Amino acid sequence: MNGASAARTVAVIEDLGFTDVVSIPDGESRHLHQALLDTPDIEVYSPTREGEGIALAAGLWVGGRKPLVILQNTGLMEAGDALRGCGIGPSIPLLLLVGWRGYPGAMAGTSPVDSAYPYTEPLLRAWELPHRRLLSDDDLGVIGEMAAVAEGTSKPAAVVYGYGFTP
Amino acid sequence: MSMERLDVFRALAARRTAEVVITTMTATLQWPLVSSHDLDFDFLAFGMGHASDFGLGLALARPERKVVVLKGDGGLLMSLGSLVTMGRYGPPNLLVLLLENRSYEMTGGQPLAPKVDFVAIARGAGVDKVERIDDMTAFEEELPSLLTEPGPHFVVLPVTNSEPLPPVAHTDHAERVVRLRRGLGLE
Repeated sequence: MNGASAARTVAVIEDLGFTDVVSIPDGESRHLHQALLDTPDIEVYSPTREGEGIALAAGLWVGGRKPLVILQNTGLMEAGDALRGCGIGPSIPLLLLVGWRGYPGAMAGTSPVDSAYPYTEPLLRAWELPHRRLLSDDDLGVIGEMAAVAEGTSKPAAVVYGYGFTP
Repeated sequence: MSMERLDVFRALAARRTAEVVITTMTATLQWPLVSSHDLDFDFLAFGMGHASDFGLGLALARPERKVVVLKGDGGLLMSLGSLVTMGRYGPPNLLVLLLENRSYEMTGGQPLAPKVDFVAIARGAGVDKVERIDDMTAFEEELPSLLTEPGPHFVVLPVTNSEPLPPVAHTDHAERVVRLRRGLGLE
């Protein structure tokens, strides 16, 4: 349980046919972000905020592309209106890869607990976004699983990663 | 100087052929008075301030097709970072027309911060082709090139409105998306 490898995660993303990644960099996703930038067949866009990124991804999808959105849980909180308006409401099947800031500390029992930690899964449930946890390479199959859920339901779905990606 | 917004819309509708036109806020109420096209997209209630972000994504996905975004200055202030992203990734087929009325018209006309210079902000954000067009004669002269020449373009249009606004039509969001994708040949 020490995080998935960026290289293996990129291989999964490529195999699933994602054409674009909208990624707002954060510490936990930095190796994944760089690995994606090094992948010539995937376009990477870094908007300035997460709500902007979700709207950008929605436009890509409406135009026929297959985007993946990478954002931290804090950014997910910021992007609520865009997620509602550009994902849930219009039935756009965006897959979100959500960094779970605060998870490692909470699991280690450190104090204080990051206030971003406890709201992440309840928030996803409140939005009725199905999600699975990604904690190591053993869990990489959940990306394809949730991508299928998004496409099957025509709604956004999420994969929540608890630890930073390793190179 | 300023232009009557409906005159701007009439001029655009008269020149428009196969471009996607994305509208938001009060533009969604008046654009249908001059246009009924499969590639019209009503972004109302899709996300505060994000019409041009959506348009950017669509333009990146469909490089063969011009994407025109009609958005207001109040909406832009809700997502100013959009200009930075447009400056970084904006493709040649994106045209953003900023309807500058210096107010939040949709919510009752509350005034914006009065000293904001949207041309300067866009240039500072890295958008290369930025201009301000103040009158209808100049707009009609420039419109053909804005619709055909490579951008991305960001154009500030000072507008007023003296026409009564039609009521908001709350159409289904998913149906709007299906209609646009069908217009693009994707459904």
